[in-house]
Amino acid sequence: MTYDAVVIGAGLAGLTAALRLAEEGLRVVVVAKGVGGTHLAPATIDVLGYDDGPVESPARALPEFAARHPEHPYGRLPADVIPSSLEWFRERLDELGYQGGLDENLLLPTAVGVAKPTALVPQTMAAGDLRAGGRFVFVGLRGLKDFYPAYLAENLARAALPGGHSVRARAVELAPRLGEERDVSGLGFAERFERRDFRETIVRELKPRLAPGEVVGFPAVLGLRHAREVWQDLEAGLGRRVFEVPTLPPSVGGMRLFESMTAALRRKGARIVVGSSVDGAESDGRQLTGVVALTAGRPRTYRGRAFVLASGGFSSGGLQVDSHGRARETILDLPVAGAPGPGEPRFAPGYLDEHPIAGAGLVVDELLRPLGADGAPAFENLYAAGATLAGAVPWQEASGNGVSLSTGYGAASEILQGTP
Amino acid sequence: MRSLETEVLVVGGGSTGAGVVRDAAMRGFSAILVERGDLAVGTTGRFHGLLHSGGRYAVKDPDAARECVVENAILRRTAADCIEDTGGLFVTTRWDDPAFGDEFEQGCRETGVPVEEIPVQEALRLEPRLDPTISRAFTVPDASIDAWKLVWGCARSAEEHGAEILPYHRVLDLEQDDGKVIGALVKDELAGEEVRIRAEIVVNAAGAWAGHIAELAGCKVAVLPGKGIMIAMNHRLVNTVVNRCKPPADGDIIVPIRTVSVIGTTDTRVADPDELEVTQAEIEEMLDEGEKLVPGFREARALRVWAGARPLFSAEEVASTRDVSRAHALVDHAERDGVEGFITITGGKTTTFRLMAEAAVDAVCEHLGVDRPCRTQEEPLAGSEEGRFYWLGSRLRAREPVPRSEEIICECELITRDRLEAAITRRPTTNLDDVRRVLRLGMGPCQGGFCIYRATGILHARERLDHRAANSSLLAFLQERWKGVHPILRGDQLRQATLDDWIFQGLLGVQHLPE
Repeated sequence: MTYDAVVIGAGLAGLTAALRLAEEGLRVVVVAKGVGGTHLAPATIDVLGYDDGPVESPARALPEFAARHPEHPYGRLPADVIPSSLEWFRERLDELGYQGGLDENLLLPTAVGVAKPTALVPQTMAAGDLRAGGRFVFVGLRGLKDFYPAYLAENLARAALPGGHSVRARAVELAPRLGEERDVSGLGFAERFERRDFRETIVRELKPRLAPGEVVGFPAVLGLRHAREVWQDLEAGLGRRVFEVPTLPPSVGGMRLFESMTAALRRKGARIVVGSSVDGAESDGRQLTGVVALTAGRPRTYRGRAFVLASGGFSSGGLQVDSHGRARETILDLPVAGAPGPGEPRFAPGYLDEHPIAGAGLVVDELLRPLGADGAPAFENLYAAGATLAGAVPWQEASGNGVSLSTGYGAASEILQGTP
Repeated sequence: MRSLETEVLVVGGGSTGAGVVRDAAMRGFSAILVERGDLAVGTTGRFHGLLHSGGRYAVKDPDAARECVVENAILRRTAADCIEDTGGLFVTTRWDDPAFGDEFEQGCRETGVPVEEIPVQEALRLEPRLDPTISRAFTVPDASIDAWKLVWGCARSAEEHGAEILPYHRVLDLEQDDGKVIGALVKDELAGEEVRIRAEIVVNAAGAWAGHIAELAGCKVAVLPGKGIMIAMNHRLVNTVVNRCKPPADGDIIVPIRTVSVIGTTDTRVADPDELEVTQAEIEEMLDEGEKLVPGFREARALRVWAGARPLFSAEEVASTRDVSRAHALVDHAERDGVEGFITITGGKTTTFRLMAEAAVDAVCEHLGVDRPCRTQEEPLAGSEEGRFYWLGSRLRAREPVPRSEEIICECELITRDRLEAAITRRPTTNLDDVRRVLRLGMGPCQGGFCIYRATGILHARERLDHRAANSSLLAFLQERWKGVHPILRGDQLRQATLDDWIFQGLLGVQHLPE
């Protein structure tokens, strides 16, 4: 069969493009080598957290940022796409109860106690907003090696907050019964929190140790499929506002996002093929006609009318640098811009310095179509979205999921406009 | 000012200094070792980890080969726990002259290196990744040795015999009285205070830095630092030490050590052992040479690159000193410069560190007018009493029967929380990099992506560090890792490093930590 759209990659960019197309009635397939960046990143939608310093209002900062960085994905998008994509996302992921928006960034504590600006956050994280200061207690769970509340609290108490607000923060360690296990993953705790008796024990042990008015921060492991219920239950049981702090991957919050988006996609009749790596394409010269994926070791062609390349950046394997220093796009071998050539330095000697290779990726036209070596779109019906695009340094700008969401949404919009 | 007194003061905490202080303490001398940084952070901690069979020197330097044969056998008895008995191969690739094999075999026989030529098919069965076009293969008893474990083993043994080990104590000056060195003024870098150490004799075991120390006593020791670069590849591309069967040259050896394999090395004279720059050309050369031994080497995952400084004793100096052997040099400054109470032991290699220590402490005995025999050739280090070699699977085997029964803080190197906490408690340090060398924390494929945050949290709680110290330890560790990673970042390791960027900068935001 021929799909209306074939999406390569199952990170936030790919899933967003696919869902937006599927809900407009297009026949969509998502083909991905594995689950994408959702499982690695916190589930917050950071649109623009840092420019020269922390960004208070993305809505105010973005027009000027886009004008100053025409090579950035935000510089490529029509101005209304970012707000529309956030609005769309909030509505579609209603069960995750995303809060916030572009007008003002929230400030959420990271696991080392940095106040990080972010635009849209799941409801289970929203009470961690530090903008108005307050009293916070962070809960450590013995057996979870990925969360250190005392270290977090000590840094957070020194965080510079706007408006002269201050935070009081302290840590509490709980030692829940874990049976024989001493090394429990975030997911292992998420499963335990979904059990009522486990939650009750936590509440019983924790409640007497809380001061009035304290807001309670847990590591982001409060359930997977029933996170809302777990969170509501803890708030009710503790009589305090409760929130989650994202910690080391795999990200339980990101898994929830992945589950919600893939469930929505299936409801809209889209097909999701995870575990198949795309490594070839068929074209008639001007248009892509199909991509070839290895499924169970056999090549299989997915034919389509439009294609979205959302295979990610260097961290996902969508971009790569070979041993001779040549940067390449791994699926269609599209030209990569912004990468220093062989022999030129790709990195600065200081870890936190700006690295020449940061921002390397695909250059696209105003319709988000990646350009070939001749500067014209490589294929008339190929669009690119997410971390594979050139121009962003998402972990420094705090723009990762914002770029993925808005360009995934934007690519889908272009396809829809071109679809009769 | 705090002051200490001892009979023997050893300057330098590499394998030589650790060997000297242990030997001296075992012979009943009171002894102190001072090192400007942590133990084994100089040349000893920056080589490929080869325990020489002697094969590499059999043709070019027979004396050095003979020393290696003897010391290799002694260390297998006394430091078994630090050694992995990988065995070694010398193979003739199509870029090498097959006739050299005969010369090599002859040299080994003359110097006592146990050698045996084996059929190529047998070598390929042992090491299936080797280039199948090799034409000859010889086995020798090469092995790999964990230098940090060795040096710490010596230091702990010395402590048990009454010695004092003082890392982070920098020598500011050697104090003299009437033509005799009577001790040193040192700076305790952690406490920030000066300490005066009185000694009857000072042993300069500062390796590539020996010239700087000698200068403090007004003596000239011409040590020329020879830079050698090494690259650690993820995984064990080979499980046997593999050498090219040709005269020693750049990139002619791959050493499997712990979870990685290390290719080395180069030899460039440099002016300053603290300034060892690695060039792209050197990296490319290593990868190209690796490709000749193991096809596909270039595209394999390279973890990090570093350089060490061999202490090369200049020839003129050798002629004018008491030449113990070509392989290392012992300078009696009383004899040569008229400065009493001061000797320098330098040159050599980790394989022969024990012999160098023995020679140095023999000279100490002579100076102090006593005759006490060396016992380091007999007495094993703690953990090596049973003569059991280290085995790659040992950490996994200990964990496997009851998975998840302990928290694994570093999955790459299988370091448990208990081990990490014990190491933190044992070392008077607030520096994760010191812990790294003892445990190999953060040295695996993810280069600290996951364990650094965990270890910082644990260090913070355990040592009651304030946030400032914890933050700077975390940032210093990241920077220290980056130094060895970025010159060779590409392929799958770049993918890993980008994930680490997401974790540290995206998720945690370490660049915004408070001052």
